[in-house]
Amino acid sequence: MSFLERLLKDPVRFARLKRWFYVGLAVVAVAEIALPLVFDAGHPHFSFERFPAWGSIYGLVSCVAIIVVSKLIGKAWLMRREDHYDS
Amino acid sequence: MTPGWIHPGLVLILGAWLLPLLRGRIKRAAMILLPVAALVLCLVSTPGTHGVVHVLGLDLVFGRVDATSLVFACVFALIACVGMVFALHVEDDSQHIAALTYAGSALGVTFAGDLLTLYVFWEVMAIASTLIIWQRRQPSAIAAGFRYLLVHVVGGLALLAGIVIHWTQTGSLAFGDMGAFSGGLAWSLILVAFLLNAAVPPLGAWLPDAYAEAPVTGAVFMTAFTTKSAVYALIRGFPGTELLVWLGAFMAVYGVVYAVLENDARRLLAYHIISQVGYMVCGVGIGTQLAINGATAHAFAHILYKALLFMGAGAVLQTTGLRKLSEMGGLYKTMPKTLGLYMVGAFAISAVPLFSGFVSKSMVVSAAGETHRAGVFLMLTLASAGTFLHTGLKLPYYMFFGKESDRPQDRRGKEPPANMLVAMALAAVACILIGVFPGLLYRHLPNPVDYVPYTLQHVTGTVGLLGFTALGFFLLLKHLDPAPTISLDTDWFYRRGAAVFVKWIQTPLARLESGTVGEVCEFVIRRPVLGTAHLLRRFDSFVVDSLLVGIGRSIQSSSQVLKTAASGHAQHYGLLMAAGFLALLVLALLA
Repeated sequence: MSFLERLLKDPVRFARLKRWFYVGLAVVAVAEIALPLVFDAGHPHFSFERFPAWGSIYGLVSCVAIIVVSKLIGKAWLMRREDHYDS
Repeated sequence: MTPGWIHPGLVLILGAWLLPLLRGRIKRAAMILLPVAALVLCLVSTPGTHGVVHVLGLDLVFGRVDATSLVFACVFALIACVGMVFALHVEDDSQHIAALTYAGSALGVTFAGDLLTLYVFWEVMAIASTLIIWQRRQPSAIAAGFRYLLVHVVGGLALLAGIVIHWTQTGSLAFGDMGAFSGGLAWSLILVAFLLNAAVPPLGAWLPDAYAEAPVTGAVFMTAFTTKSAVYALIRGFPGTELLVWLGAFMAVYGVVYAVLENDARRLLAYHIISQVGYMVCGVGIGTQLAINGATAHAFAHILYKALLFMGAGAVLQTTGLRKLSEMGGLYKTMPKTLGLYMVGAFAISAVPLFSGFVSKSMVVSAAGETHRAGVFLMLTLASAGTFLHTGLKLPYYMFFGKESDRPQDRRGKEPPANMLVAMALAAVACILIGVFPGLLYRHLPNPVDYVPYTLQHVTGTVGLLGFTALGFFLLLKHLDPAPTISLDTDWFYRRGAAVFVKWIQTPLARLESGTVGEVCEFVIRRPVLGTAHLLRRFDSFVVDSLLVGIGRSIQSSSQVLKTAASGHAQHYGLLMAAGFLALLVLALLA
């Protein structure tokens, strides 16, 4: 059994992995807010980039928007059976 | 040709024909040495105008060597090397010849200094890439190849028409910035041809259609040349064209939307080519020094990581025979090396810090920021999240992890042959090198670079964007399960629309045919022709025939007279002679 397989198959280890993922996200978001206050982060191009944790928020919003909007367009219009062009 | 400069593209195009003559190890050495030789020739090329050929009063420039053409040529030659290593195990000369010709003609496009040379190599590229698709030798690939060829023939004709009009109007074939002719017919036609090859919607549906059908090894070449040579042509001809900014930004999002719906692994990656080329097209449209540098750098980085991703998906296809995400899963156990190398490509395309996409994509996004285009900036950033969502999360999740479907032993997957892994490793090393040492790439860009990718804000912002994209992915995972469907794209118009159109037009067309066209035919062609024929027949039967009959009759009667005279009795002849003699005597006496 490889390292990766142990990590994914063992529920205890998998739960630990999940926890580290959330901790990591929290660290990233906090770093994004805190580090520009401590160090000079340079001048952003747009005012909305000054919003605290802008990258993290926009990432989550983008991801959800892409999935939801694409699925809606797909279900309503674009998705067809695989033999659409064969029949 | 100027002495001292050898066209790297011609080395590939002509050298490819050596392969059928060689066997075994020598052949494999030649397969590697040809693209390596082309790469070396690119590296030692000195800027300037080389290879000027005078034909029919025209100056054809085969070697316009400057920073822009060199950086594109180098990456084209580099990926040809990687692609040939990846294809080393394939025992099919025709595939290698097509691939090398394709790579060579892409180099030809890159070094072309005039529009005619550009056009010739442009068309060779279309034909060679069609041949690559057909090498898969399956009905679906043959059909996709024909569609691909027809679309590119249309693009090629638009280019030719544009060139001819431009030539007539200006008297020059030089290939430079077309900005001065903006809005004209020649400008539009050439732009349309370039946009078609860059797979800009609605002209880009050929790309996922064809690339998913190409052979495993051939697809690696396909990902590199057609779209990126079009980006190069756009940089040369259309920098700063406002239309391109919006087309590019739209394209970046468009590819991401289709990737959500896609079930075929290589089609998903193909839609992300469209998305990534969107950044380049957008950069060309913005047209500032930073933006052009960004488009060039992103093309360079993109060719390497996209080839790596296609090699990864191709390795899975080759060893499992599976192409649909809904049928894959659990391959991390049998293909861990492929997974690791694929993930390098996935991190590179997702612009994870320390990977190549981070240092190239951000140049275009920053250029959008510097020119205060908030909408474009937001669209490109959203597409970045989408890129990571699909290439970095969805595809590896369903391919290598996820639910393991029940599959027979031969579909469980195994690591691909060593040469394929080596090729992937080469591309992976390049992705990391560029990401860690961006100066290696920046040094060769067309404009001087004063851009620093690793700023605090950029790194934290990117990590935040990617991290929370991953969060969104895992939260919505159950909605992302790939379904066995296909998605309509603009290829519908020629795959289905054409049939609907024909059905719709059939009845009026038939009516038109039997009605107007029939009547016109009756009165303009049929009746006059029949009348003339009738007249001729009468002339024949009355005049010609009676003439012949008359001649026959008179010959017959005169021959009757002659028959009477020639009786065959000697006494008659003697009598005639005596009568004649007497008559002569009388004449002599009386005279």
